[in-house]
Amino acid sequence: MVVSDPAADPRKATPLQVAKAVLSAFIGIRRRAAHERDLVTLTPVQVIVAGVVAAVIFVLSLVLLVRFITS
Amino acid sequence: MDAAHVHNGHGAHGHRNTGLMRWVTTTNHKDIGTLYLVFSLTMFFIGGLLALGIRAELFQPGLQFWQPEFFNQLTTMHGLIMVFGAIMPAFVGFANWQIPMMIGAPDMAFARMNNWSFWLLPPAALLLVASFFVPGGATAAGWTLYAPLSTQMGPGMDLAIFALHIMGASSIMGSINIITTILNMRAPGMTLMKMPLFVWTWLITAYLLIAVMPVLAGAITMLLTDRHFGTNFFNAAGGGDPVLFQHIFWFFGHPEVYIMILPGFGIVSQIVPTFSRKPLFGYSSMVYATASIAILSFIVWAHHMFTVGMPAATQLFFMYATMLIAVPTGVKVFNWIATMWKGSLTFETPMLFACGFIFVFSIGGFTGLVLAITPVDIQLQDTYYVVAHFHYVLVAGSLFALFAGAYYWLPKWTGHLYDERLGKWHFWLSMIFFNVTFFPMHFAGLAGMPRRVPDYALQFADFNMISSIGAFGFGLAQLIFVYAIVKCVRGGEKAKDKTWEGAEGLEWQVPSPAPYHTWETPPVIR
Repeated sequence: MVVSDPAADPRKATPLQVAKAVLSAFIGIRRRAAHERDLVTLTPVQVIVAGVVAAVIFVLSLVLLVRFITS
Repeated sequence: MDAAHVHNGHGAHGHRNTGLMRWVTTTNHKDIGTLYLVFSLTMFFIGGLLALGIRAELFQPGLQFWQPEFFNQLTTMHGLIMVFGAIMPAFVGFANWQIPMMIGAPDMAFARMNNWSFWLLPPAALLLVASFFVPGGATAAGWTLYAPLSTQMGPGMDLAIFALHIMGASSIMGSINIITTILNMRAPGMTLMKMPLFVWTWLITAYLLIAVMPVLAGAITMLLTDRHFGTNFFNAAGGGDPVLFQHIFWFFGHPEVYIMILPGFGIVSQIVPTFSRKPLFGYSSMVYATASIAILSFIVWAHHMFTVGMPAATQLFFMYATMLIAVPTGVKVFNWIATMWKGSLTFETPMLFACGFIFVFSIGGFTGLVLAITPVDIQLQDTYYVVAHFHYVLVAGSLFALFAGAYYWLPKWTGHLYDERLGKWHFWLSMIFFNVTFFPMHFAGLAGMPRRVPDYALQFADFNMISSIGAFGFGLAQLIFVYAIVKCVRGGEKAKDKTWEGAEGLEWQVPSPAPYHTWETPPVIR
């Protein structure tokens, strides 16, 4: 199941890649090829940190939206 | 697999207690799983009897059987017993039986703690049931134990607090065990993203439990000190705030809702592919959606308390956040249906319950969306619409998933096929009577019938009579389940190792019944 891509440097996901993986996880949809690349390049620490950051951003953006509507 | 056959159970592991002491001293995950399941089934029937007491009183307007005080005890204890005594331990029972077999581990990580976490439950259950017989009776504050009601009740409330503390400790220990087992004891080659979905959902659920059970413990400890030691956390006259209790309780309570449904999602995600004879559609998105639901579950709690008073901006925040949970949940329902799409479907009892789950749980999800809309919720708060909603997700959701899982894995546990005819009767009677019971409650609620009342205005009489008839039918239908289990345990057609032709996973590679010890030599996953 784990596909090793010789061109990809393992364990070297850029912050953008991590963000994309976590954001797609928030919706619950991920393309299979991208998911298999994630398996090789993402570390658990990266995912957890990005998940917490994304959750905070999600809450803050909802707060902003609510403030905008009620102001 | 070979190892499981070679060590076919008993002799290889020296002395083992027999009779009652086997069950008291056991550290075997299968024994403890059985204990959990028997315990939860017992509590399910006790909670069910209380429910029938409620429905008997509500069959007609006016007071028939109970005084209002006792009626409130019935509703409260029905909720507490079903949530903490039936649904949660049942899922832990499934985890104990299945997780080690599904990940290729010989047992749970902390076998003795496993025994301890189970044996904490019967004393807690005794405390809950015994509280009916103390002066003033059991707690009648509702399962939510809202202050100031809960700061005023008799010793039954203290027994409930103590019972919840014990059950919380049991849940936390169970979760530590499950997390450690899953993270450290998987067979070589079983990466996280190769784990069966039931294992994934339990991993995430266990983290939720560890995060929120201490919050409940904190809330009820503050209740206890308010009651007996002169504190004023929830007493407005002493500078405290009863609304604080609601915030703390629901910060626990909402993730608790997901604790009771995520393992159910896991069971359904095992069953639907088996009887569709296709791999699960969107495995990784299922994992992601589960994690996403778990995170969102922490930021929606105040939708349970829109009417207690909060700024409009706060109401909007919780309304939006709540509605967004529909996205990952919708992904899951979509994936189950996509798995069935063009599959070679058969409808044995586990699949019937799984399909019933998807259908009826979705109705509960939709009424949840209705209630998430703040202005609508303010109308419907504390009406039977809410009662209908949460029974659609907890009975048709959690309970149907448990039934599905029980029929699915019973042949593996007992070595015998269950009686398919009984299973089908159980499903159809449960499905029909469930809807007869709870669908009219939507209408009663929309018409304004409040929950937790023993008497009601005449215009609600017809809906309540239908609900009560349905409830007794549903209760009686559950006796079929017990009979089917007993019959299956005592004998029946011999089950194959791989009972279901479409089933995938390590548990189907060990013999049926699963020997006392499995996977002492871990399998290698390619």
